[in-house]
Amino acid sequence: MNARCRWFGIAGLLAALLGCSDISAPLRDDLYEWRLFVPAAVGGGTDTLSFHWPRSALPVRVWVEDTVGLPADFERAIGIWKSVFLYREFEAQRVSDSVGADVIVRGSGSPGSLLRATRLHSALRSECTGETDLDFGDDNTEFRTPVRIFITPLAAPDDAGLRECLALTSIHELGHAIGIFRHSPNATDIMFANPVVDLPSALDRGTIEVLYHVPPTLRLVRP
Amino acid sequence: MRKPFALLMLLLPAGAASLTAQTDYYLRIGAIGASNLLRDGIVSEITVRQSIAPLLVVGGSLPLRQGYRAGLEGNLSSGGFHSTESGVETDLGTLRTASLQLDLSGPIARQIRWWMGLGGLFYLPKDDEGIFLQGGTTRLLAGIGTDWRMAVLPRWDLMTSLRYDFHRFTTEELKARGFGQSQGISRFSLSIGLARGHR
Repeated sequence: MNARCRWFGIAGLLAALLGCSDISAPLRDDLYEWRLFVPAAVGGGTDTLSFHWPRSALPVRVWVEDTVGLPADFERAIGIWKSVFLYREFEAQRVSDSVGADVIVRGSGSPGSLLRATRLHSALRSECTGETDLDFGDDNTEFRTPVRIFITPLAAPDDAGLRECLALTSIHELGHAIGIFRHSPNATDIMFANPVVDLPSALDRGTIEVLYHVPPTLRLVRP
Repeated sequence: MRKPFALLMLLLPAGAASLTAQTDYYLRIGAIGASNLLRDGIVSEITVRQSIAPLLVVGGSLPLRQGYRAGLEGNLSSGGFHSTESGVETDLGTLRTASLQLDLSGPIARQIRWWMGLGGLFYLPKDDEGIFLQGGTTRLLAGIGTDWRMAVLPRWDLMTSLRYDFHRFTTEELKARGFGQSQGISRFSLSIGLARGHR
């Protein structure tokens, strides 16, 4: 290789290093509605309910009843939602004491009566169901903990579909507890009312990413 | 990543056996700072940056001709990195970087030499999460700098080095998320230490 070739090689390498433009971020406009719209608590009209866990409240404390393998399912669900975020917007951990927990998960049917809570029915599969009770206070300005999640096995313990149902329902219900208050209209999303996929889709990820960067309308109130 | 350093530490003394009079070794400590790793936009702008981190540099060189020397230089730094959104900083954990560069140096003045290197930079995050969810990354690295040396003992010099290097940054996770191109990153370091060898 003569000297001219060598210098052209060096120049080419430097051009490759220096010449490209900066990193370009993806557009995050592919998402579904996550906010809840309810009749206004005061006066007429509508209240828009939106919430994400503030950084000061992290990690979210999750207590899970030790039944039908739910602790392992929620451990996995926490990891999956955590992995959706790029900038540590969300963290959660399982706690051993339900007193002081932000999210309480029961492996049995939900109580019939509701006091103030709004109940999100979902995961209506034949093997199991899930429900999440959210308390927005009297004037729709608060997000009161604990959030209560009820996972109900419907199939026999040895039913092959039960394990899969419990796993994806855990991810789905935790999705409600961390801020996605509505169901996706797309069957390919984990937040679809009757989910068939077992992981958050690109649309689920885009939605939760954006919602954690939009100012919430609800204020966290811990007991 | 430990392997290249182990190799460096083994090779330099081995070379010294035959080239004792000509081989130069140095060890320096200092600090390194870098420009933004990433600029993102989710509703508002988010930047990710490494904090200024402590730096350990080890290297050695052999003479070529007319005062020029060729060598190998490795450095290791470990510090935090954080995101900033609307003026609020969030700690994203610990990020270690290690580099290994083949280098060429030559005289500028009696105690000052220029330095240029080309090699690899390894990002070694403590936790595989966030932008490093799929692990660290290896990037091509090019650097320039100057070394200033002052004799303090018969065979030992005090060595101060100023370095600038450049690489382009991205990760497998960022690519999977749809980030295009890569981010040009400039790093500056200042380090001081001892060198043993040539005069």
